[in-house]
Amino acid sequence: MRMTPVTRSSHHRVGFDTIFHGLLWVCAVLVLASLGGLILLMATGGWQAFTAFGLDFFTRTSWNPVKDIYGVLAPLLGTVVSTIIAMLIAVPMAFGTAFWLVYIASSRFASIVGTTIQLLAAVPSIIFGMWGFQTIVPFIARDVQPFLNHHFRHTPILGPILSGPPVGTGLVTAGIILAMMIAPFITAVMVDVFGAVPPMLRESAYGLGATRWEMMRKIVVPWSRNGMIGAIVLGMGRALGETMAVTFIIGNVTSVGWSLFAPRSTVASLIALQFPESPAGSLRLSSLMALGFILMVLSCVSLVLARLLRGKRS
Amino acid sequence: MNNVESTSFMMARDCWRPSRKAMWRRLCNNCATGASVAAGSVLLLVLVSILWTLLRRGLEGLSWATLTHTMGPPGSGGGLANAIIGSLIQTGLALLMAAPVGLMCGIYLSEYGRKGNYFASGVRFVADVLMSAPSILIGLFIYQLLVVPMGHFSGFAGALALAVLALPLIVRTTEDMLRLVPTAMREAGAALGAARWRVIIFLCLRSARKGVLTGILLALARMGGETAPLLFTSLGNQTMSTAMNRPMASLPIAIYQYAGASYEDWVQLAWTGALLVTFGVLLINITVRLSSRH
Amino acid sequence: MMSASMPFTEHLTGSSGDEPVQEVALAVRGVNFYYGSHHALHDISLDFPARCVTAMIGPSGCGKSTLLRIFNKMYDLYPGQRATGEVMFDGRNILDDSISLDMLRARIGMVFQKPTPFPMSIYENIAFGVRLHEKLSRTAMDERVQDVLTRVALWNEVRDRLHAPATGLSGGQQQRLCIARSIATRPEVLLLDEPTSALDPISTARIEELLDELKEEFTIVVVTHNMQQAARCADQVAFFYLGRLVEMDTADRIFTNPRQKQTQDYITGRFG
Repeated sequence: MRMTPVTRSSHHRVGFDTIFHGLLWVCAVLVLASLGGLILLMATGGWQAFTAFGLDFFTRTSWNPVKDIYGVLAPLLGTVVSTIIAMLIAVPMAFGTAFWLVYIASSRFASIVGTTIQLLAAVPSIIFGMWGFQTIVPFIARDVQPFLNHHFRHTPILGPILSGPPVGTGLVTAGIILAMMIAPFITAVMVDVFGAVPPMLRESAYGLGATRWEMMRKIVVPWSRNGMIGAIVLGMGRALGETMAVTFIIGNVTSVGWSLFAPRSTVASLIALQFPESPAGSLRLSSLMALGFILMVLSCVSLVLARLLRGKRS
Repeated sequence: MNNVESTSFMMARDCWRPSRKAMWRRLCNNCATGASVAAGSVLLLVLVSILWTLLRRGLEGLSWATLTHTMGPPGSGGGLANAIIGSLIQTGLALLMAAPVGLMCGIYLSEYGRKGNYFASGVRFVADVLMSAPSILIGLFIYQLLVVPMGHFSGFAGALALAVLALPLIVRTTEDMLRLVPTAMREAGAALGAARWRVIIFLCLRSARKGVLTGILLALARMGGETAPLLFTSLGNQTMSTAMNRPMASLPIAIYQYAGASYEDWVQLAWTGALLVTFGVLLINITVRLSSRH
Repeated sequence: MMSASMPFTEHLTGSSGDEPVQEVALAVRGVNFYYGSHHALHDISLDFPARCVTAMIGPSGCGKSTLLRIFNKMYDLYPGQRATGEVMFDGRNILDDSISLDMLRARIGMVFQKPTPFPMSIYENIAFGVRLHEKLSRTAMDERVQDVLTRVALWNEVRDRLHAPATGLSGGQQQRLCIARSIATRPEVLLLDEPTSALDPISTARIEELLDELKEEFTIVVVTHNMQQAARCADQVAFFYLGRLVEMDTADRIFTNPRQKQTQDYITGRFG
């Protein structure tokens, strides 16, 4: 007598559970479809450019809307170099900040400073662009570039790299702004990674008389090497694809050259700037799509790299 | 005995005196400490400088007229009303689209996608890729997907682009938060005879609701400040428009258009808009972080 | 061989005459300890005789580990923790702020509850601490490593894989490696915080034997939960309860004829 209703109602539940499961599954598929669609549409959009230019597309330095000939080397180099500059600045800063927050500052102070620095990561990228244009660009143009031009103009090798028209925009400026944008992000991941080092291990190192810095360098860094590299690569992925901030301060000239202080362009900034002038169906738009596809591939590669390095934590 | 003691005293002095090596080590430690404090201070300084610049440049243009007038030609005393409304509509709609899908996908990953489920690990990976994908590409994607077939830019396309941007964020925080719910809670629910969906919604999701909400709010903040995905989707609009199938204004786009202009009042509006966006975004962030700490 | 380079043990060999006048390695006078506002140790005073094993026993939370961590100022890592009073070591009060932590910790080594091998090879684990304080040639370092590994009876087990990761050792081996690592910097005092609580009985027995041998050269302070262990290896035992030192005596007297009722109750298992 008492068994019957229970059985019946549980039958009903199994039915609803299946529907629920199905619904969740559909949502998961939607996420898959977003990325699939993104890559697919980017590839098909860029197909026209890939077929029209072939391999030349990757080696040509000119981006010439007048002749309708496009090559990605200039913006690609701009992206790579500005990202490298950004990493050179951001990684030591993030490492130092994380060291400070995890091992030097008192925990209450560290949580306040840590939260504040995370706010920096939340500032919209266009604001970084405006701020950079307002503060960093004039500083580089007025104070840094005249100095470099004066002292290095005739130095072999360094001369062409460090001198340039004193306009303030260019790869170094972009690198600085990018560094300020990604450093808080790398810091956050590094704080997590450093925090995961067993306290006993740290105490043992201190117990042998190691200083804080020795403990950091000899114990924490080897222990968390993979996690740190993962954080760095993830930050790199962000710098590669950053658009709005860079558009304000890179100068937007599609050229190739040795100078780090001359206006250049990056893949993302070129897409943002040239898009409004590229009518649908044109070769120019297709070239922009192709650029987008390349950027997507770069971003994917950096993520996979970060994943592999993280998964290998001992 | 006396002799022995004095030797020991001498030795003692010696042992406490730091050697050259010890001095050098201490110097290294102090330098490293100083450098790292300096690095952190630079980041703090950048934040302060950004906020200060925004306040200095933006505050003077902040008036009732800025908030109530729509954008207009230079010198016409235009404001940002249509951009603010447009931003609210698009982010709101985007949240309505992204939140349910993201929530359910997160639930799927956490409750059905544990170890050994390759489909789930694939979805997880894809969410990560999507999260780190440059936001401008999401704009290009929606442009190809919606704008080209429809033949015109639209507010709906903008909202969809923002939704795609927010989706992976919501998915991953939801999953992470649900994973923090102890297995014992699920077992206890199941032991009472509750169906799985009931356990998930009324026990797991309920106890993780704070974290999940945090994730959604942070996604909202992220969407509010994004410019790149809107460039190719909702385009921007000088007039007040609430029609979803027409180009729609938004604050970030308005800032982008006005910041590079050569008209004094447009540049002023760009800074004021920047002030509004930044403080809106930071306000959400601060609220969320403060409330999640307690 | 070892003592030749250790000024501290050298002059002491003469003093072990007929008179059992114990030299004091650590003299604790009126020490109080606070975790923030929590008063964890109350006015502790006791002496730790040199080259003896002193065991500190007592129920959990009685302050014995806290006291141990005062001796090499491990608490200094954590803001909010502070100690007052005096701990005299080699003519100086180590609670003084002027004491340099790295020098102090080189002279007072510590071994922790769980084995904590560093993420590097067995050899490097030992060389790590030595390199902090001394500049040794390769051969001298090799000798030092072999010497300390032999003393902890690990040499024969690991001589073929000195450059393998230390994390590959068993728990007991890891703990002996940690002891080797601590004595490699040639400290005068060795602090051990429940060194066997994570080990099996056989490994425990070996560590206990080891303590017996090491006390020829080092002053050993060991915190333990295990009363049999205290009875087996300690010369002196201090019993703590609720942040106070209840009594301190030779191991024989503590375990056969304690003066305090609390001690007796604890030893006979009536609480704790």
